[in-house]
Amino acid sequence: MERLKGIGVSSGRVVGQALVAIQRTQVIRFPVAPGRVARELAALERSRTRSRGQLQQIRDRIAQRKGKELAAIFDAQLLLLDDPLLVGRAAAIVAEERVNAEWAVERALDEVAEVFSDIADPYLHERKGDLQDVAGRVRMNIRGEKGGARDLFRDLEAPCVLVADELAPSVVAQLDWNRIRGFATDAGSRTYHTAILARSLGVTAVVGLRDVSRRIPPGASVLIDGDSGDVVIDPDPALRLEAEAAAPRARAQQPRPVAAAGPVRTRDGVAIALLANIERSDDVAAALDSGAEGIGLYRSEFLLAGGPPDLAGEDEQYEEYRRAVVQMAPRPVTIRTFDIDERQLARPLVDSALDARWFPQGERAGHAGLRGIRFGLAHPAIFKTQLRALLRAAAHGPLRILFPFVSSVQDVRAARVLLAEALGELGAPGIAGGTPAAGVMIEVPSAAFTASTLARETDFFTIGTNDLIQYTLAVDRTDERVSDRYEPLHPAVLRLLRQVRRGAVRRGIPVSVCGEVATDPVLLPLLVGCGFTEFSMTPGALPMARHVVQETNAAEMARIAARVLTLETVDEIEHYLLEAVDHQSVYDGARR
Amino acid sequence: MIARAVVVRNELGLHARAAARFVHLATRFESQIRVRRDSKVMDGKSILGILLLAASRGTTLTISADGADEQGAVEALARLVESGFAEGSWNA
Repeated sequence: MERLKGIGVSSGRVVGQALVAIQRTQVIRFPVAPGRVARELAALERSRTRSRGQLQQIRDRIAQRKGKELAAIFDAQLLLLDDPLLVGRAAAIVAEERVNAEWAVERALDEVAEVFSDIADPYLHERKGDLQDVAGRVRMNIRGEKGGARDLFRDLEAPCVLVADELAPSVVAQLDWNRIRGFATDAGSRTYHTAILARSLGVTAVVGLRDVSRRIPPGASVLIDGDSGDVVIDPDPALRLEAEAAAPRARAQQPRPVAAAGPVRTRDGVAIALLANIERSDDVAAALDSGAEGIGLYRSEFLLAGGPPDLAGEDEQYEEYRRAVVQMAPRPVTIRTFDIDERQLARPLVDSALDARWFPQGERAGHAGLRGIRFGLAHPAIFKTQLRALLRAAAHGPLRILFPFVSSVQDVRAARVLLAEALGELGAPGIAGGTPAAGVMIEVPSAAFTASTLARETDFFTIGTNDLIQYTLAVDRTDERVSDRYEPLHPAVLRLLRQVRRGAVRRGIPVSVCGEVATDPVLLPLLVGCGFTEFSMTPGALPMARHVVQETNAAEMARIAARVLTLETVDEIEHYLLEAVDHQSVYDGARR
Repeated sequence: MIARAVVVRNELGLHARAAARFVHLATRFESQIRVRRDSKVMDGKSILGILLLAASRGTTLTISADGADEQGAVEALARLVESGFAEGSWNA
């Protein structure tokens, strides 16, 4: 028995098996029951098989169109995939430590990467990237098969408590809170939204424990006391029984997030559309299961699976888009044209055996280079191939085309010219039902500032908040020295969002908000208060967003938002929001 | 089990392409294959293992094999290394 002291932020006394989430890697570690180890190993092996198929396919496509010499670069990735030190080691970790496969892959990667770093050879240092690519692909395929973080809980037998370094909204939103009795986190500051969330969900919470996520082994029995701020590892039987008995009382009859279909309304009746972000047509089923009212963002570059974009032919693309549209119809599918950087195109041409790059999961094309629409305009043949495929797929249902990384109205005009050309090239039989809507991703500050101009020449806006915040605040989120300056509640960000919405409203075009902010239990109500009514997010986050919307009073949030927009610092905004959201019972669950 | 010492002769040493060729060849044999450089011993069928040997030109490696086809394995692998991996052609 070991006792840690933190700050209780949501009352109750609960005990459960520890589920340990480390935010750094976006990978969750959780214990696997002895009987399930074989299943976990089988999932790992299937993922390897699937990854091998993907890599072979890319290799063969390249061999066909670019020559054998170039295709051989993927042979090295295939070798890494079968390397006993990577997936083989991961299997051993699963078996020995009885943890989930995804975590084991991450661990195996860390082990090898560490040895690599010890060798003072710049060439080997570069090879780390290839290792990460392969490990990323294997993890992605494990995740793809299992359908996201919510599925983790199917393997847990006992009720659990979540132990994390910090709880980012993107993780919070994807967890199954019906199975979690409470949580404990290392982080103590910036807990405004986790505290609100805990109370909203009626789960016990203690924060500010500093190193709890490293001290508690996954699967350990943990007691969390949200009133005293105590966290007890391996509590003795008497203490545990007492908490077990108290648990049902502490957990009030809160409505928990569940996946449901159909439109969702705020408590005061404002209709909110919740859409899903996907990466492949295979993801549509998960989006529908989560109750998505459409696809708000289809990231088409994932179709390339790391290969050069001229490898995805028109017919192949058309088939893929058509599948998504047909499955989703009559709901809309918004497909973003390739958001890749030209460097990604050039990289496989580098004469090095292991230099082909895989898109890291969830990461965007890069920084402020030749990417998005800039790439499309610089490579019209590739761009028009995609546009023709999109136009043909639009005959099967409501497809919308979204141009990424637009920074001026000239970008939109040029893209529209190419769209018209693509339409002309198809000839009359290609299209039934007219030209699809073409919208602009608002993710560059210059586009946000000129929103009302852009709105005149475009059919809809999708705000890419992750990038917009990053570029507005000049913060590279991957740079640890400044990543804490990435702040969605910065007054500049909020004012910019307001300006974009005004531009859209003035011209009568729809605007949706995309990115992590849409999954944040505090930011989502605030954005509803700002007048946004359409949000798109990862399918796993939809049930949580639905819950949050239903608990939100839009009129009250509008008042709160108006006040927030007059405040000068992030701290002031946070404090005000915490108090407003918590005490003015924007959530029922917050009223205690 | 049989073993044989070889010297890395090619310009770039056992870098990615050479390592990949080595592993491709090694996996064609049933025998367990090990490659030793000084005190480091690596699985000859692991590209990571081979890369981690960081064997540059002039390095002495000991290739050992244990199994039904050990003789052929050691001979073929030693030949590959000593031929400088036929650098310039790559037909994995």
